[in-house]
Amino acid sequence: MIAEETLVQDLQHPETRSQAFEVLVDTYKQRLYWHIRRIVLNHDDADDVLQNTFIKVYKNIKGFKGESKLYSWMYRIATNEALTLLKSNAKKLDVGSGELQDRMLGNLKADVYFEGDAIQLKLQKAMATLPEKQKLVFNMKYFEELKYTEISEILETSVGGLKASYHLAVKKIEAYLKEEA
Amino acid sequence: MKDFNNKNPFKTPEGYFEDFSRGLMKRLAEKDTDIPRNEGFIVPDAYFEGIHKDILQKLEAEKTKVIPLHRYKKYYFAAASIAAVALVAFMLNRNLSQEITFEDIANIDIENYFEDNSLDLSTYEIAEVVPVDELEIGDILSKELNEDMILNYLDNNTENFEELNMEYDE
Repeated sequence: MIAEETLVQDLQHPETRSQAFEVLVDTYKQRLYWHIRRIVLNHDDADDVLQNTFIKVYKNIKGFKGESKLYSWMYRIATNEALTLLKSNAKKLDVGSGELQDRMLGNLKADVYFEGDAIQLKLQKAMATLPEKQKLVFNMKYFEELKYTEISEILETSVGGLKASYHLAVKKIEAYLKEEA
Repeated sequence: MKDFNNKNPFKTPEGYFEDFSRGLMKRLAEKDTDIPRNEGFIVPDAYFEGIHKDILQKLEAEKTKVIPLHRYKKYYFAAASIAAVALVAFMLNRNLSQEITFEDIANIDIENYFEDNSLDLSTYEIAEVVPVDELEIGDILSKELNEDMILNYLDNNTENFEELNMEYDE
């Protein structure tokens, strides 16, 4: 795999830019896609957000100073884009975030790109009960298997706070799954 | 090795202690939660193969939408300066004493801001920015706190006692 610093330099150079961008997309497309999909739940929205994320990265890479790591910067953009999409969806439908979550879960049952059974649907319902931040932390730790230090850099939150969020999220999901069994 | 069983009549199956560590490690490696690992999400066939092309197309489409403004640039400067002069004149004519202060912002506006801008801070995050060392408990509480009140609160609000004494491993 190409070193991150070299990749950033190549992205900032007009001659190497397009090739480096292809490498960037290839390296991160799956990770970022799943990160986004877990927030927006359906494939079409995830596809939109993923494309917008890479376009933002492409347009703003010149200003990237390397204060954070490239991947955490991209994760941050992806997270913001995904949450912004949810907010604008809620606005369009004129509903609150709770109602939006309910609708998203309802749509999941008919989604051709969701093959989950009753247990997996229940898992999504359990996750929908979590506050936004806890859900993010849970997804990133449990499914994406990121380290606390990495999540800390992406979400700009202390490791201690993340551990507490994760712990609470696991407890709540377990309790939900047990209760509704 | 010291024999810990020289004074009692109990016996263990042969090779029990040799297998014990192995069995324990195996159990520890097993999943420690019932939360499923598979979420059931799938993607269309060959989606990831085509994504780079899709992004380039979108980028290209955005580029072609840009209309050059340079031709009219000098008029913009002129128009902007006239507008600026007019604005300054207008502002000066208004009552200068009516400066907006923080107190003028209705509380509801501030509440709306917090509502709309997802400042989802956890207690841990708040604790990080509030200088707790300099705070006295009296600064935030109007009533004095006594032990009974604390015990009552914990009694009514703690579902899981373990949460009060959390210890984590990475």
